[in-house]
Amino acid sequence: MTEETQDELREKFARAIQLLCFKHHMEPGARTWELRHALGKNYEQILEALQTELEKFGLTIKRVSSGGEAESDRFFVTLRESPPLTTARTYGWRVDEMGMLAAILAQLLVRGGKAPLKEILQVLEEKFPKFRIDPAIEKFIRRGYLSQDEEGMLYIGWRTRAEVDEKTLLGLLLGKGKS
Amino acid sequence: MKATERRDILLRIIDLCESVSKKGLNPFDVRVGELFDKLRELLPLLRRHEELALDLQAVVGLAEVIRQQGEWIKHRSSLLYLDPLLVMLKIHALSTEELAQIFVRSWHPILELECLTPLGLKEGLEYWKFLPSLQERLRELPKMEVQPGRIGLKELEEMGFIHECFDEMLDSLWLELRKRGRVDYWKFIKGKNFSERVKRAYLLSFLITYGLAKIYLDPIEERIEVEAVDEPQRKREIQSMVISITK
Repeated sequence: MTEETQDELREKFARAIQLLCFKHHMEPGARTWELRHALGKNYEQILEALQTELEKFGLTIKRVSSGGEAESDRFFVTLRESPPLTTARTYGWRVDEMGMLAAILAQLLVRGGKAPLKEILQVLEEKFPKFRIDPAIEKFIRRGYLSQDEEGMLYIGWRTRAEVDEKTLLGLLLGKGKS
Repeated sequence: MKATERRDILLRIIDLCESVSKKGLNPFDVRVGELFDKLRELLPLLRRHEELALDLQAVVGLAEVIRQQGEWIKHRSSLLYLDPLLVMLKIHALSTEELAQIFVRSWHPILELECLTPLGLKEGLEYWKFLPSLQERLRELPKMEVQPGRIGLKELEEMGFIHECFDEMLDSLWLELRKRGRVDYWKFIKGKNFSERVKRAYLLSFLITYGLAKIYLDPIEERIEVEAVDEPQRKREIQSMVISITK
């Protein structure tokens, strides 16, 4: 990277941030091969340098494994710290939707990432009104927090892997998480 | 042991393995060792290709269960393993607000932006230019009342509702099948369009039911073949089979 001029580096930073932040088709973020193609072989060093810059704005770069080859891993720019609840409500979320998602994710995480929707609904219906549950689950699936197959099995979605610190969520649920 | 009993055992094993992956059951509830012993006992008795294919499917299913047992152990030994019952009790005990707090404190939203490209702008402009006015869009469609009509004998014959015509259609399809020998099911029912394909599949199902055609199923390669039979044979065992046809 030392051989690159300041201008070239700035250009690559701009290209990287465009790739990471702008939505391509339906999903944000960029895959490993896309970054390599756009930034060159030393894309990891460029991302590290970019990370240092982003930290100044309270942001970070997160790599999410696709479960297959490393080339398909996806990189996202996320908030470094969690937003306060009052701010999160301004992002278009209702408090009961956030509560529902926490309850669903906790159940899925302790069951290895998948569970039948029917069983999840049974738990939710004891706590939330039914007319709120169905649209909320639809919203979580549409946004990528959850996914569902034809057999009615619910899975953790790509967005949860990117945005939610799973260990912290379970830790907080049991009252032993970060303070 | 009868062929049907052997087949039932194999199908039960396959079904059990499938239910583990589809319903998320504990893979250790399946006694893999005992089932492999059962398959070992059955193997020398298997004669037909279909039985051997089912045996293979059962072995593949059990191998998948073993893979899931591995995943299960990995998950249990990870930091994320907690008793699901304990988690459920916690969910019950916490208020909606507290649950929302838990979500937010473990949440790091993605920064994502949407951009409008020149192409997108052009498409938007084209859409706007050809969009009818609100007045036009709100105008109701003219109502047209359609009275029930009569259908002619010839049309009914063409649709296969008249018995004689139906028999003729069956005969001609049987002759065609006989001429083509053992043939792939999908190739045989293929017609000029979707309705003809459905019609041929429908007629063929009658030939099979009457014993005038044989159907061969290869579950491993997912191949279905059919062949005409000269003399209808008395069936020892009756099975029904569903084949869905899509456009």
